This record gives sequence, structure tokens and C-alpha cells, in this order.
Amino acid sequence: MTAVLVIEDDDRIRLALLLALEEEGYTAQGAATAEEGLRQQREHPADNVLVDLMLPGLDGYECIRRMRRDDDVPIVVVSARDDTHDIVAALEAGADDYLVKPVAVKELTARLRALRRRGRARTTPVTAQVFGDLEISEEAGEVRKAGRPVPVTRTEFRLLCELADHAGRVLSRQQLLSRVWGYETGDERLVDVHVGRLRQKIEDDPANPRHLVTLRGLGYKLQR
Amino acid sequence: MTRLGLRARVTAAFAVGALLLAASMALFSYDLTRRSLLEERERTAVRVAYFDAAVVRSGLDTDEPDVVEVLRSLDTGSSRRPLLQINESFHARAAEVVGDDPVPEALRRMVRRGEPAVQRVRLNGQPTLVVGVPISATISYYELTSLREVEDTFQVVALTLTAVAIMVAGSGAALGWYATRHSVRPLTAVADAAERIAAGDVTTRLDPTTDPDLTRLSSSFNHMVDQLARRIERDRRFAADVSHELRSPLQTLAAAASVLNRRREHQDERTATAAGLVADEVARFQRLVDDLIELARTEQPAQRQRVDVAALAREACRARDLPESLVRLAPGTPTGWQVDRRRVEQILRNLLDNAVRYGGGPVAVRLSGAGSGVGVVQVDDAGPGVPAADREVIFDRFVRGRAAHARAGTDGTGLGLALVAEHAAAHGGRARVDDRPGGGASFHVELPGSLS
Repeated sequence: MTAVLVIEDDDRIRLALLLALEEEGYTAQGAATAEEGLRQQREHPADNVLVDLMLPGLDGYECIRRMRRDDDVPIVVVSARDDTHDIVAALEAGADDYLVKPVAVKELTARLRALRRRGRARTTPVTAQVFGDLEISEEAGEVRKAGRPVPVTRTEFRLLCELADHAGRVLSRQQLLSRVWGYETGDERLVDVHVGRLRQKIEDDPANPRHLVTLRGLGYKLQR
Repeated sequence: MTRLGLRARVTAAFAVGALLLAASMALFSYDLTRRSLLEERERTAVRVAYFDAAVVRSGLDTDEPDVVEVLRSLDTGSSRRPLLQINESFHARAAEVVGDDPVPEALRRMVRRGEPAVQRVRLNGQPTLVVGVPISATISYYELTSLREVEDTFQVVALTLTAVAIMVAGSGAALGWYATRHSVRPLTAVADAAERIAAGDVTTRLDPTTDPDLTRLSSSFNHMVDQLARRIERDRRFAADVSHELRSPLQTLAAAASVLNRRREHQDERTATAAGLVADEVARFQRLVDDLIELARTEQPAQRQRVDVAALAREACRARDLPESLVRLAPGTPTGWQVDRRRVEQILRNLLDNAVRYGGGPVAVRLSGAGSGVGVVQVDDAGPGVPAADREVIFDRFVRGRAAHARAGTDGTGLGLALVAEHAAAHGGRARVDDRPGGGASFHVELPGSLS
């Protein structure tokens, strides 16, 4: 059974989400504050985390940032805010996906399933690929830069593997959305923010990327 | 009667003013010239007449004077004619024909009394100056001086002055036209700005620094537009805020309704029906809030990028269990369009939903170019069509087709086509509906600048 942690300060929303998720076959726990959520995740790690942005005390962004320090669990933001600013900030903090309230339960579980699918090891592991000083080992689930391991989240790792599989070729944002996130259609900002975060980790100069390059109007490409 | 425009009136006033001024100046100058010329002429004529009279007097001062010879001895030139009255008979130089009564009676009486006199008369249609000089009790000397040359001069002067007056009036009109062009220019700027604002651009402002005299106009105009923009923004924000506030309770409802829906088989029939109603209405409520928030967001400009619109259309069909073969790309139309992906996605989605709800299902989704970079998305259905009277209003908010009122159980939000129109407008285009040949409605959305 998949365990989901719901960090939401509105008691009614939290209760309703827990009921609905349990009804869909998940094991759901709730937390009313970020601190409580972080503690629960440390003690009983869930497979997915849903988090609201407006929380008393630590806000949602900070909650995501702290959880990301030592956990690559897929984090989905469920927020009433829909400004580009908020979405990008949450994704940059380390969230894997962003849903705007109200989310239909069907939609929510579809997203969680997609995140879970790609979270698992891939069926056809390939030997390590090398891009200059960058080494991607799908089997080991590891990325090394100049020999040192680079901490990446599952989503970032999937994104990197997808680009590595098509090395030297362009993948459009829509292609990446469907292959990495499992969305037939979705918000392309998701891709942009994750690419940006990945560059911070694997590029010497993230502003002038050498490996993960943008092709204006077309998409992204990984090269040596 | 239509009132003349400001410019025409000011110009006319300038012209009339200039004409009055020029005419009175001309009349005054004419009168002055005429008077001084005539006086000069009269003085000369009188002096000459005295001189001639003296010559005649000395010529007659013989025993048997030859009157004609005496008169002939005068050096008169062509413009003067001497006339001598002895007793009641007039004597002139032989060849000259003396008119019936060249010298007015009053003048004659004065001269006879011994007083020299001058009078202007018309003689045979010619302006003439008659100078009378008494020579003795019975003899009077008259001299008739033609004023024709002077009159000719007057005519030339009058003509010139009239021409000048007309020219001045014309210049006045031109000046008026020119001056009003400058004074009307700020009004033209105001009119242009007002038109832009009416077209929806509330960022339009007048430049308050162009003319110190017009600062008040431009600042109060700008103030008005500020107020208007603030009001529009406030209304927009209110709609957005309300929608946002509805999101949190809706999340609870959506999750709770899904639980009820899941448990249907454990409920008795009445409870299950009620639970189904709640779930359906929550879903509709959710769509309504999404559409409202989307509408509040449509003010933002379209974010264009290369989008495979055909793939988008096929995806939209697939999501509605419609055959992908409905999508037809006109020959020669590129698949990659420069459009706002999210907006075009909604256009397709809403038009397809509309066709399913009110048009008996779509029969074709056509993608084509209409020249000069305009991409056209067209969705045809085989429904009852849209009456001509409803074809504008159908794109307004919360308007649903007449057929929809007749049909029960509609789950539309009434915002779908309004959003289509807004998304088209964000691309600089428009949405419209026509009859489809063969029955049904045909919705067209024009997206300028999408095919480059």
C-alpha cells in the first residue's frame, strides 16, 4: 500500500483528503503544520507528500526545502494559489508537481500514480553514460560529477535519464512532460524549473550550460 | 441643421473679422485718397481758371473783341474747356459742342452776383468740374475740367483695395484654420486616447507635459482613466478573489463527494441518488470556478510559442472519446503554430464540449490558414445551428444557447464560449459562428500571427 502524507492546515480539507485517499486505497496520514509534517516524514517516511503552501509557522516553501535536504520523496503542492510566481517558487524549492485547488480526487491519484511509476527502477537499465565529467548510472540510480556523487531528486534523475537516453537530440517540453511526469498535457513551467534546478547541480556555470542546453522554441538537449 | 464644427466656426470668424477690418481700412483709405485727390484737382482747376479768366479779361479789353479767338488763345490742353457767358448766351471754341445746359443754374447765379464758384457735375455722362469766375457784371467765365482721369485713378484704387481686402480675408481664414489646427490638436489627441481606451487599452494616458495651457485637460483626463482602470481592476480582482476564496471549501467538497461516490453501492437508492447529485454539482462548481479564474486571467497577453496544434486537437478529441479522425489539417497548413498553448488548448476543449452539449457532437475540427499569418480553428457540428440573432450574444458570459434552456441536465458553466472569445482576442483575433453548409453550426476562431 502506498503511504501518503498530507500537510494541510485546514482541518476540513485535510480530513476530506485523507478520507478520499483512503477510499482510493492509499494509507494516508495528516499533519496540520510543516513542523509536524517534517517530523512524521522523518519517523514514518511516506511514499508521497502532499503539501499546502499557506501554513502557520514554517510555510510550505520552507517545508519543501527542509524535506528535500535528505529525502527524494515525490512532493506535490496542492495550493489555492495559481500565480506563476508561487508555482515557480514552490518547484524551485524542490516540489515535483503543483496542483491548484480544487483538485478532483481522480486527478490527484492519477498524478500520484504517475510519480510512483517513474519513481521505480526502470525496466531496461542501461550502463552508465558519460557526458564529459558527468556520469549517469541508471542502474545505481546515481549521478556523479568529477567522481563525486551529486544529490538529485527522483524527478531530476528521471529527467536526466530521459535526456541521456536521447543524447544529442532535442526533446520538447511536452515530450518531457509526458515521459518524465506521465502527463498527456500539462504545465511546461514544470519542465523549465526542473531543468534549472538540475543545471545548478550538474553544470560548472549554470547560466551558461555546457551539457544541458536550451534550444529556443524547441526544447532541451543533453550533450557532451 | 447641423452645427458647424469648431474649426469651421473659428475659421469663419477669422475670415469675417479680417474682411471687416480690411474692408473698413479700404473704405477709409479710398475715401481719404479720393478726397485729397479731388481737393488737389479742384485747387489746381481753380488756380488755372483764375489765370485763364485773367487772360480772357485782357483779351476782351479791346473795342471789338473776337470772343472765339480769345478763347482759342487759351492754352487749355484736352482736359479743359473754356466757356464764356456774355449776357445770356454762351460762347465756346468753335469746334466744341456745348451741351444744353453745361453750367448749373445755381452756379450761374452765384457767379453773376460776383462770387467765384466751383461745382462738380456730370456732363454727357462724364464727371466734370465747373469753375466759374466773374469777369464783369454781364460776363462770366467758366471752365469745364474733365475729372475722367481722376475717376479712372479712383477705380484702380478701389479695385486694388477690394483685392487687398479679399486677400486679407483669405489670409484671415487661413490663419484661423492654421491656429485652430494647433488648438484642436490636443482635442484630437484626447479623441484618439478615448478611442484606444474604448478598445480596451486602459493603459493609455495623455502626455501632460506637451502644453502648459492644456495641463488641466490632460491631468483630469488621465485622472479619469486612472479611476476607470482602477475600477476595472477592482472588479476583476473581486471576481478573482471570490473564486480563490471558493477554492478551499471546494477542495473539501470535492474530496468528500468522491468518498460518497465511491460508496454508492453501500447506500440505499435515495442516498445514492443524492450523493450522485452532490458529486455532479461539485464537479460543475469546480469547472465554474476554474473558468471564472481563467476569465480573470485573460487580461494577460498571449504567451506565444511553437505548438503542434493538430496534435493538440487530436489530444482534445481523445480526452473526450471522440475519434481523432475528426481533426483535419488543410493542405499546405503547417502543423507548428505560434500560439499560446494553454489558450488554444482551452479553445479546442471548449468548442468540442460546446459541440457535444448543444450541437449533437462535432463532425469536424478543421485547422487552416486564412492568409497573412492568420491561423483558423474551426469546429463544425450537426446540431440545430445558432439563430442569427444569437450569434453575437452567444460569446457573452453566462449565456447559454436557447436549445440549452429547453434541454434538461446541462452541465455547462456558461463561460466556455466567452473564454473562447477572450482567448481569440488575446491573440488579436476573434471568434464567430456561422451556419454549416448542410446544417449545424460552424465555430471559427481566428488567430492572427500564428502562421509565420
